Amino acid sequence: MTQKPKVAFFDFSSCEGCQIELTNFGDADFLELLNHIDIVEFREAMSEKTDDIDIACIEGSFTRESEKDRLIAIRNRAKIVIAYGACAHTAGINALKNHTTDFKKAVYGQDADQPHLNSNDKALPISHVIKVDYFAPGCPMSKYEFLNIVSHLLHGKEPVIPTYPVCVECKRNETICRYDVGDHCMGQVAMAGCGAPCPSQGIPCEACRGFCEQANLTALENTLINKAGFSASRAKDKLRMFTNALLPDTSNP
Amino acid sequence: MKKSALTKTTDTLFTPQKAKIIRAVQATQTEKHFTLALANKEKFQFMPGQILEVSLFGFGEIPIGIASSPTRENTFDIVVRTVGRVSAAVNKLDKGDHLFIRGPLGKGFPLDKLINNNVLIVAGGIGLCPTRSLIQYILDRRTDFKTFTLFYGTKTPEQQMFLDDLKTWRLSKDVHFFETVDVPNASWQGHAGLITKLFKQTNISSNTRVVLCGPPVMFKFVIFELKKLGIIDQNIFLDLERRMKCGVGKCGHCQINNKYVCTDGPVFALSEIRFLEEAL
Amino acid sequence: MNHHYITLKDFNLFLTKLVNQKIVYGPVARKNKFVFDLISSPEQLRLDYDVTILPPKKIFFPPKQHLLHFDGESYKDCLDPKEQIIMGVHNYDIKAIDQLDFLFKEKNPDDHYLLNRRKTTIIGSNIQTIAARSFWGSAGAGVEPKGHDGFLTKLKDGFVFETRTKKAENLVKFAKFIKAKKTQVEQAAQINTAVKKKCPAKLAYSSAEIAIKTRLAFKNNELWERLSKDCFSCGSCNTTCATCYCFDVQDSWNLDQKSGFRTRYWDSCMTVEFAKTSLGGGAVHNFRALRRERFRHRVMRKLVYLNDKLGGPACVGCGRCATACTADIADPVNIVKEIMEA
Repeated sequence: MTQKPKVAFFDFSSCEGCQIELTNFGDADFLELLNHIDIVEFREAMSEKTDDIDIACIEGSFTRESEKDRLIAIRNRAKIVIAYGACAHTAGINALKNHTTDFKKAVYGQDADQPHLNSNDKALPISHVIKVDYFAPGCPMSKYEFLNIVSHLLHGKEPVIPTYPVCVECKRNETICRYDVGDHCMGQVAMAGCGAPCPSQGIPCEACRGFCEQANLTALENTLINKAGFSASRAKDKLRMFTNALLPDTSNP
Repeated sequence: MKKSALTKTTDTLFTPQKAKIIRAVQATQTEKHFTLALANKEKFQFMPGQILEVSLFGFGEIPIGIASSPTRENTFDIVVRTVGRVSAAVNKLDKGDHLFIRGPLGKGFPLDKLINNNVLIVAGGIGLCPTRSLIQYILDRRTDFKTFTLFYGTKTPEQQMFLDDLKTWRLSKDVHFFETVDVPNASWQGHAGLITKLFKQTNISSNTRVVLCGPPVMFKFVIFELKKLGIIDQNIFLDLERRMKCGVGKCGHCQINNKYVCTDGPVFALSEIRFLEEAL
Repeated sequence: MNHHYITLKDFNLFLTKLVNQKIVYGPVARKNKFVFDLISSPEQLRLDYDVTILPPKKIFFPPKQHLLHFDGESYKDCLDPKEQIIMGVHNYDIKAIDQLDFLFKEKNPDDHYLLNRRKTTIIGSNIQTIAARSFWGSAGAGVEPKGHDGFLTKLKDGFVFETRTKKAENLVKFAKFIKAKKTQVEQAAQINTAVKKKCPAKLAYSSAEIAIKTRLAFKNNELWERLSKDCFSCGSCNTTCATCYCFDVQDSWNLDQKSGFRTRYWDSCMTVEFAKTSLGGGAVHNFRALRRERFRHRVMRKLVYLNDKLGGPACVGCGRCATACTADIADPVNIVKEIMEA
């Protein structure tokens, strides 16, 4: 790209934490990035808008029918679409409602019937509605990985996102394995690239970047039960945390 | 084959050298044919069948077989199929641009075993690229070899490469050239069907030395035909392809049992790898 | 070369002086585990460690190592070897380093490894605490540890320091070493011989027997399927392995989008991606697409493939893989037992 590419940010059903994470650069890195791109739409930081976009970065999952048109409109305006953050990538924790029917009541209690709370039965990744070119996974997405993705796209190179599991990064960091302190973890099957910050802080990996190819979920369930002392139902629930929309059994029980 | 070629021109195993693109032709929809010369103007020394690590800084490195013979001019050819990040970037380059190479790497075709013998080359699809280095070599030193037969098969006529070469080979008395396509189009006049069908049109003697290069599925079927002709494993040579990172026998990606495709190959006698379960 | 002796008190003074003047790595505590790390004061050095999470190779062959720096079209090798000392390397890791030295040197010498390695002084130490999953007493039993510069053996009141190279001999001047008595040298030898029998786990077969039977089991799909059923393909066994050295190479740009690095990263043959090739048009071919094929490849590589080159198995019995595997299927002791009894 010879001219500075126009980059826009959009949010759907999400906490907007990934946008916050982006502005968290707040240092030389982010300013340096601005030398190479033009940010044309960014709700968290500005208000001007433009028609054609080189790179549309979309945060949040698809949970309402009305969001469909908006997603399609963005796709039509954008040369490249990046789904960034777990909600856009896997539908994230929004999809935890997908296998339940009483989710509104559970969340909103007696206000559950208010019309503005209506949403689809299932939260889905935005790739369910539009073609997504690249993913920046994670909850929140890693700002350094995002920089790397943009850097690659500036050169017309497909971004390199690691495909190996979080265990690889924990071991490289010499982080004490959660299982060695009697805890649980899903790092064995979770996509890496984040640098494994959670286990290094004593927090189990929740697979917020989704599962790796050929993820051995049966073995994971067994390990959660046999090694971490989970009940069978808790082990099953654990697998849903960030990937409920992708698991085969997301339909109502 | 000399290993010192590498240390002679580079500083460490991973230091590439600059090469200039002398000619760039879109060979097919997905393949681009580059003619290169070293930027330092020296002649690039290599043997037919050897490989290069081709790179662009920021994009990375990929292994590519050399597609021309050292018997030709000071330049050398590669053909790059757009399959990933590096190849996509390389295929955007044109005449006058630069890229970077490491090599030549690996052992090439076993010329000592081919010379003074009947030779058959079976090339499937993009497998014609590395074997072209040997085809040119044989044609340039034709009296060193006995009969020379070439089979070339592609899925469709559009996938044929080196069209000028094909024209020459069709008319040449120096090579018995047979070509086929799996799926012909309206204008295709030649043979249609799998490459193994070409054996019926020829009379390959059992003492022929055979060189194979093509997609993994092709090997099994062609070897089956060669066995019917009574050709022994020692006389069948396969040019293998694997994922490769370093090209110098370290990174482990191309390992097949105890062999490294990059340094022990990429050309192996079938007798060497027959019992390596992951080779074929 | 020589056998020296130093009292425990003087050893502390020796370390103090050493860490003030040199870059010194050694085993240090990290919560309930140990890691090799920079030593800045003597009490950090825990020669009583059992095993570290990663082997000491990480100091001269780091998980992420720049190979080249580029800036537009100019480029240079990233070679910046530092003089450094690694203290307290156990015999199994010494054997592993010796293997890596050979593998990086053979055929095409890898300067990015070798220059770092050459500037590194390796001082071994006797194993005082035995790791629960270790089996170094019987892994490659015929292979003697070599390639290190010196070796410390702790006696009751001090250390016997065996110097094997000039690099180690040069360290002696840092403190009050005296010539070791014959009885002290004998005592040290005894300690190092005796400890070999104390591993909790043991391979009940010779390296050659294991290699032959394992190779013959190649096509026993049922066996590999059973052994790898719970494998996560997570790469923990490879990443913690003392003898694994496979790597991936990736390029990236710096923030200026012009300069950048070509970098190598430790890679793992157990991960799905490792043997994948792109064929074009989105098609891929994975030469080891199945879990059992990848599992088998690791076992073959540790017990069979490299034996001829190395004169023994590419497994030194540190037990790191067994400890790191959350599915508990990576332990070579169990794998060998299953293969031999299959």
